[in-house]
Amino acid sequence: MTYRAKRVSIVTEKLNERQIERIVEEAGATGYTVFEGSGKGSHGVKNRNRSIVSAFSLVKIEVIVSSRETAEAIAERVAETYFENYAGIVYIDDVEILRREKF
Amino acid sequence: MDLLSNLAATFVSQLQSPALAFLIGGMLVAALGSRLEVPDAIYTFVVFMLLMRIGLEAGMEIREAELGAILLPVIASAAVGCIIVLAGRSILPRLPGVRMEDGIATAGLFGAVSASTLAAALVVLETEGVTFEAWVPALYPFMDIPALILAIVLVGVHQQRTEGGKRARVSYGAIVADSLRGSAISALLLGIVLGLFTHPDSVFDSFYDPLFRGLLSILMLVLGIEAWQRLSELRGVAHWFAIYAFIAPLLHGLLAFGVGYLLHLSTGFSPGGVILLSVIAASNSDISGPPTLRAGIPRANPSAYIGASTAIGTPIAIGLGIPLYLTLAQIVFDL
Repeated sequence: MTYRAKRVSIVTEKLNERQIERIVEEAGATGYTVFEGSGKGSHGVKNRNRSIVSAFSLVKIEVIVSSRETAEAIAERVAETYFENYAGIVYIDDVEILRREKF
Repeated sequence: MDLLSNLAATFVSQLQSPALAFLIGGMLVAALGSRLEVPDAIYTFVVFMLLMRIGLEAGMEIREAELGAILLPVIASAAVGCIIVLAGRSILPRLPGVRMEDGIATAGLFGAVSASTLAAALVVLETEGVTFEAWVPALYPFMDIPALILAIVLVGVHQQRTEGGKRARVSYGAIVADSLRGSAISALLLGIVLGLFTHPDSVFDSFYDPLFRGLLSILMLVLGIEAWQRLSELRGVAHWFAIYAFIAPLLHGLLAFGVGYLLHLSTGFSPGGVILLSVIAASNSDISGPPTLRAGIPRANPSAYIGASTAIGTPIAIGLGIPLYLTLAQIVFDL
């Protein structure tokens, strides 16, 4: 038996990781997963092997929450706080989960 | 003319020194598109090793040093760091195509200090047989932290003035804590504490000191590769950043040389110390400074200040700055 849930994915500069995790937790999410990565966008190439300053590499923070409202609240707060000045994208998609009580 | 010919001779001999040779070698392999890479973790470890060695030696020396003799150079370092930022703030934003935030952030980074430049200078002085008080490298954080804080505060003041009333509160404590927790300064401070309160002499003599030169060559190679790769970022910003990055390190070093000379006259600060103070002032932060500024001045374009510092400022500070202050000291102090 699976249940519908929302996944918020935030891709941004590693520098912002801790503060975004705080936003996610304050919004009521029970957990999140962080992936390190690299990429290219309007802020130029962010390649984690090509910079000696690791704070400028990218991370993707994935959060799964059960309600659409929580997902949107996280996405909007992150976008408002960070994306005027820092590289980043945020998107929400539908996922199906098991063990609904975990989210 | 004497100065120029001396400078040319010193420069040519420094060109063949391992530090500069590896720096240029790094640029060369990057320019040729080589896939040679030094992993991040190695780079981080090398920086730790260099600063730990510098810290340990400084700590062991401070045990014997007179605290009064250290106080004045500490104040002078902080003052030089702040003067550099204020000068950059008043010059850079007046140039065409330079935004206030970018100008102040760049000035902040040039006021801050580079561990690798400092390490390169230590090796040069050792090779040349120029002595200095071993606590002089510990002046590093006293110039670094005030410069970064001042830059962040100046941007706050500017934004308050232009946008009226609403000023993002600058938390000085948070910036100081963030700087102190940075990998470079943490390693340096830990080394100083261990050198002061324990007896690390055996590991210092058998491990940290012998590895210093070899590891520095790796660091120089990484910086060379990084410098070349960052050059492309500079193309996207005003040319003035490149010009500032070329001239400013030399002027900052000369300013500090003057201050160091006054210290020499008043407190007997050693000629080697004067050279190191100049090198610290000429250097610009390449590890700890950029993330602090990115967090503290989010509106500044990192391509401008990191490009200026890493691609041009650091190679100039190492390649031209160190031989310049060495030659100057040889003439002034008759070494």
